[in-house]
Amino acid sequence: MKTKFLTFFLFAFTVSLLVTKPFFSQGQNDPWTPQQLLAPADLAKVLNNPKSPQPIVYSIGMQAIVKGSIDIGPTMRAENLNTLKQKLNKLPKNSQIVVYCGCCPFSRCPNVRPAMELLKSMQFTNYKLLNLPQNIKTDWIDKGYPMSE
Amino acid sequence: MRTLVLIVALMLVVSAGSKLSGQPTGLEIGNKAPEIRLPTTRGDTISLSSQKGKMVLIDFWGTWCAPCVEEQADLARLYKKFKKANPVKGRGFEIYGVSLDAKKPNWENFIIKNRISWIQVSDLKFWRSPVAKTYKIEGLPFNVLVDSQGIILAKNLHGTLLEEEIVKHFSK
Repeated sequence: MKTKFLTFFLFAFTVSLLVTKPFFSQGQNDPWTPQQLLAPADLAKVLNNPKSPQPIVYSIGMQAIVKGSIDIGPTMRAENLNTLKQKLNKLPKNSQIVVYCGCCPFSRCPNVRPAMELLKSMQFTNYKLLNLPQNIKTDWIDKGYPMSE
Repeated sequence: MRTLVLIVALMLVVSAGSKLSGQPTGLEIGNKAPEIRLPTTRGDTISLSSQKGKMVLIDFWGTWCAPCVEEQADLARLYKKFKKANPVKGRGFEIYGVSLDAKKPNWENFIIKNRISWIQVSDLKFWRSPVAKTYKIEGLPFNVLVDSQGIILAKNLHGTLLEEEIVKHFSK
């Protein structure tokens, strides 16, 4: 009887661990690697130097603040994600692409994951997420990096 | 030379202004909260200073900010509870909602859908809004509670802590 109970307990415990795991390890399950995070200073440097090859920069959040970026709209919405997909469909898979939102820290941003997952699923090979850990104000505007008009 | 005179004149006016109000303008508790003048959804401007005489919660938010959206229900409850607090003394409570939205329909629809009846203003400039700079906002939600003279009582309190702070100053 006791063993049965213990077995059940262990089973229940294991199941609960499996179920709750995604909530605890959210950061590790992000659809990007640390190497895919692009430092704002690095992008600013490229944008400020017209001679260097320019990436295609998509704003996948509320507003296209980064200079020269294309406004897709929040990719948490299916229609915006679809817009992005259609634009990406016309590009070679090795295109240099940067996406950014900057509304909120990554842990709370509803837009970065759908966009990065799309790029991954479409098998692009050279795409980055602009690393705005706080938001576009703190990590871009306040730094004086180039902005759209 | 003319610019210099203008600057000096401006400095004199500013210093005189702060002497009149007695408190320096700033973001610390005890400072006079910086003025905000922004349009409502209908386009008319409502300034923060026009609410002088009431305790005001300046709520910085955006429809794209999940925790801000979550908090709106609680703000509605507080607004209902304190709106007419201490009417005898001519005091009261107001919420001055400043949205960092970028697109008007998002902002306007949220207000209509959630029947928000307190003041709502926005320049629809998202994180580029000058007010985000003036108030040194590093993230949302953010709020500032000011007294009837526009003096900062508290910053960035939420939930029970915010309610307790309002009660504390009303019972004084």
